[in-house]
Parts: sequence; C-alpha cells; structure tokens
Amino acid sequence: MDAFLQHLVNGLVLGGTYALLGIGLTLIFGLMNLVNFAHGELYTLGAYATFAAVALGGWNFFVAVAAAIVVGAVAGALCERVLLAPLRDESIDTTMLVMIGLWIALQNAELLGWGGVAKSIPHPFPTAPLTLGPVGIAPLRVFVVLTALALIGLSWLLIQKTRLGTAMRATFQDRETAALMGVKIGRIHTATFAFGSALAAAAGALLGPIFLAYPSMGDLASLKAFSVVILGGLGNLAGATLGGVLLGIAEELGAGYVSSGYRDAVGFVIIILVLLFRPSGLFARSQRIG
Amino acid sequence: MLRLEAVRAAYGPVEALRGIDLEVGAGELVCLLGANGAGKSTTLRAISGLVRPTAGRIVFDDRAITGAEPSAVLASGIAHCPEGRRVFPHLTVEENLAMGAYVRRDREGIAQDLERVCTHFPILGERRRQAAGTLSGGEQQMLAIGRALMARPRLILFDEPSLGLAPTVVETTFAIIADIRRQGTTVLMVEQNAYLALQMADRAYVMETGRIVLSGRARDLMNDEKVRRAYLGG
Ligand SMILES: Nc1ncnc2c1ncn2[C@@H]1O[C@H](COP(=O)(O)OP(=O)(O)OP(=O)(O)O)[C@@H](O)[C@H]1O
Ligand SMILES: [Mg+2]
Repeated sequence: MDAFLQHLVNGLVLGGTYALLGIGLTLIFGLMNLVNFAHGELYTLGAYATFAAVALGGWNFFVAVAAAIVVGAVAGALCERVLLAPLRDESIDTTMLVMIGLWIALQNAELLGWGGVAKSIPHPFPTAPLTLGPVGIAPLRVFVVLTALALIGLSWLLIQKTRLGTAMRATFQDRETAALMGVKIGRIHTATFAFGSALAAAAGALLGPIFLAYPSMGDLASLKAFSVVILGGLGNLAGATLGGVLLGIAEELGAGYVSSGYRDAVGFVIIILVLLFRPSGLFARSQRIG
Repeated sequence: MLRLEAVRAAYGPVEALRGIDLEVGAGELVCLLGANGAGKSTTLRAISGLVRPTAGRIVFDDRAITGAEPSAVLASGIAHCPEGRRVFPHLTVEENLAMGAYVRRDREGIAQDLERVCTHFPILGERRRQAAGTLSGGEQQMLAIGRALMARPRLILFDEPSLGLAPTVVETTFAIIADIRRQGTTVLMVEQNAYLALQMADRAYVMETGRIVLSGRARDLMNDEKVRRAYLGG
C-alpha cells in the first residue's frame, strides 16, 4: 500500500506536466485543425531557456522558469505568424508536413547550439525528500506539481472566463459565425498557438530540472502529448487534463509493478487499447473545449 | 444607406453572383426573394465580408466596404443573422449574447443591452446559463436575433429567419423583426416564405441564378403575375 501511494504521488508529478503538454496540443489541434509535430520542440526550448537563464545568465530559478514560459509564447506566436498564417487555407497534410520540417529544423538547431551532451539545470531546492507519512517527495517535485496545477487552473480561467477564451471557444465551434461576430480569426490562431506553446515550454522548464536537458528530449514529450490528446479526445480540454494525470499515474504504476523499463510502454499500451475500444477518447461524452 | 453596384462573387470556378444592384434606404425593410441556390445568402455574405466580391462595389453610409473584413463591416453598423441560426452550441446563452457584442468595448452599455435582450426575450433570461445547443429551434432563433442586436447595428441582415420553425414560432419571429424595424433599425431580409415577407416589407428584390430579375414595392410585387406564380403558389 505504501509503495502504491508513493507511485501515485510520483505519477501525479509526471501527470501534471503531461497535462500541460496535452492541453496545449489539444487546443492547437481543436482550434487550428493542425497536427503539431513541433510541440515537443517547444518543450525542449522551455528546458534550454531555463538552463540558459540559470546556468549561464545567473538568474533566479523562479524568474528563469517564468521567462522560459514567455519565451515559449513568443516563439509560438512567431511560428504561427511566419509559417502557419500564410497556410491558413491549406490542407491539414500541408501544415502537418511543415510542422514536421520545423521539428527537424529546431531539433538540429538545438544540437548545433547546445551540443549533444545533456545539461543538468541547477535549482535551489534541497535534495532531501519531504516525508508525508509513508510517502517521500523531493521538494523540487512538489514545486513542479503545484506549478503545473496552477498553470492548468489559469488555463481554465483564461478559456472559460475571459473575452479571448470565449472567442477561442466560439471559433472552435463555428469559425464562420465567430468571424461574423467580429472575431479576427487570424489573431485567435496566433494566440492559441502561442498559448499552447507556452504550456509546452512550461512543461519543459518544470521537468528539465528533474531530468536533464538534451536536444532530443522533445520527441518523447511529443509522444506523451499525443497520447494525452488521444486519451482525452481531440480538442477536449478537460479530457487532456484528466488524460495527462491518468497517463502519468499509469506509467508510474507500470514502472513500479512491472519493470521500470516498461514505463513508456505502459502508456502506449493504454493508447492502443483506447484507440481500439474508445476511439474518440475516454471522456468522449464530456463537453469539448468548445 | 446600403448600396450594391454590379457586385459579383464566386466560389472557386462557380460564379454565384453575376452583377447585383440593390439598395436599402435608412429605416426600410427590404426583402430578397428567390429560389434555392439563387444567390441570396451569398449576397448577404458579400455584404458582411464573409465572401470577397470579385467585382463591383458595396457602399454603406457613403463609405465603400467592398471586401472589408467581417469585423470592420460589423463595426461600421451592419449585423448579419446567418441562415440556420448558427448559435454557438456549447456556449451558454449569455456567452452567445456576449459574442454578439464582441466588437464593442463599452462594458456598461453591453450589460444594459444584455438585460434588455433578456427582458425582451424572457426565455433567454430564464436560460442564461444553459448551453445554447440545448434550446429549441425557436429559442435558438430568438438567441440568434438577440445576439445580432447586441452589436447595436443600424442595419441587420436576416437570412431565412423562419427556416425550420413551427408556424406559430414563424409568426413570433416576424413580429419581432417588424418590431426591430419599428424601433429604427433598417432590415434586409432573405426569406423563402414570400407571402409573409412581402406583407411586412416595404420593397423587395427577386433573384434568379445570381441576378436580380425583378424589384419593386412589396405591395406591387404581391400582385405581380410572375411572382404570384413562382413564389406565392398561384
Ligand atoms: N461554400 C460554397 N462553395 C461552393 N459553392 C457554393 C457555396 N455556397 C454556395 N454555393 C453555390 O452558390 C450558389 C448560390 O448559393 P446561395 O447559398 O447564395 O443560395 P441561396 O439563394 O441562399 O439558396 P438557399 O435558398 O438554398 O439558401 C449556389 O449555386 C450554391 O451551390
Ligand atoms: Mg441561403
């Protein structure tokens, strides 16, 4: 039982960041009809931005994480304006290919810029775990899970309660009528891509210090993000949140009870099962973001 | 107030408008009739900026709005209540109404108008927090009209407001439109229900395959032999 609780807590830490990745990807897919293969690169960018700010710039760790999120948002906005805006009416295949190109280009740029050796991101937390009854958790992980939950909460507020969020949901549901209401669809696309990218960068900035920063770290992150989106149902925000947490927990349980080598396999087995039996996601009946 | 001069529009290779001339004066209720596929909706969509004309000019209050973005057209005072109602199904009634006021920035005015619409359509007031997709067809039509009014337009374009509604609801809808016009808003309305539409309109245009083939005072058209045969069932 104690081990189970421990796995659950570890799973929550991982799951919180998976949820961040998944929410970003599902929003971009749902609203822009775009399969964003470069999503993981924004995650990598978040980790390296944090590394650069802390290790090279000597910045405060928390300021660095916040800066990494901003960097992610700006990079996302630029990507959308430069690469995607001119292709707005192109088919989903075209934009998907462009995003695959961006993925390869960014990853190689990272390799060129940072070299292939993994970087460890310094952080100010003590390494001794906090113990809560039978469960031990490193302070850094507490910070990661709380920040992830706070960011998820903020995303909800943004989407449900603000004028921009309402316009995003309206656009998702009926693009043409949203345009009739005066919504500038192009701006909604830029904002959505920037927002999703910021969340991916946040996940990288949070997980980077736990693991390491290296150029291909985004590949696995992309896979996880796609898994979460499939679990939750395409374009389903609540589904992505729950799907992320579920995937994190399932992986920890699999790693703990089967073998740690099977951590990633567990996630993909679940995806295959979901695709076989509930192809529109575990939460297909709950309301979509839009 | 609104003038279309030789407006043409196409969907890819298919030409949907082949030179439309049309005028709506301030305070008028003008009706646009025609068979399915004649180009009525396309005419409204060209006005509101959803379709970019390939030729011709659209002038609103002496300013050219040809090819303007929908947001700019709306900001200049034209709201478009689209065919099939098109409420946002997963937004609440209140959020739908708020979307109608998206281009406005006067918070207080918007809040007042929201209350006014909810008083005017009590059913919307009662269902404020309900998803619009759960409303009945008639209620959705009220919402679509309320949403268009939230922009405080000077001209409203209605595209087949009676489509798919029960006869009693159709009457209510037309009464509401007559009311809107009485309160000073100009109306351009596309309608299949030619009889009811001509009864309330001042003037009307009849379209056929992308062209205006007939126009005149509604009363005269109602007695026109061709119109009677084609649209009024004898
Ligand atoms: N999105 C589109 N893509 C291609 N062709 C279209 C599109 N929308 C309309 N058309 C064509 O343009 C022509 C005019 O269509 P429009 O919708 O304006 O007609 P309408 O008079 O509103 O008809 P209805 O009474 O059926 O609503 C039709 O031939 C139609 O097939
Ligand atoms: Mg039509």
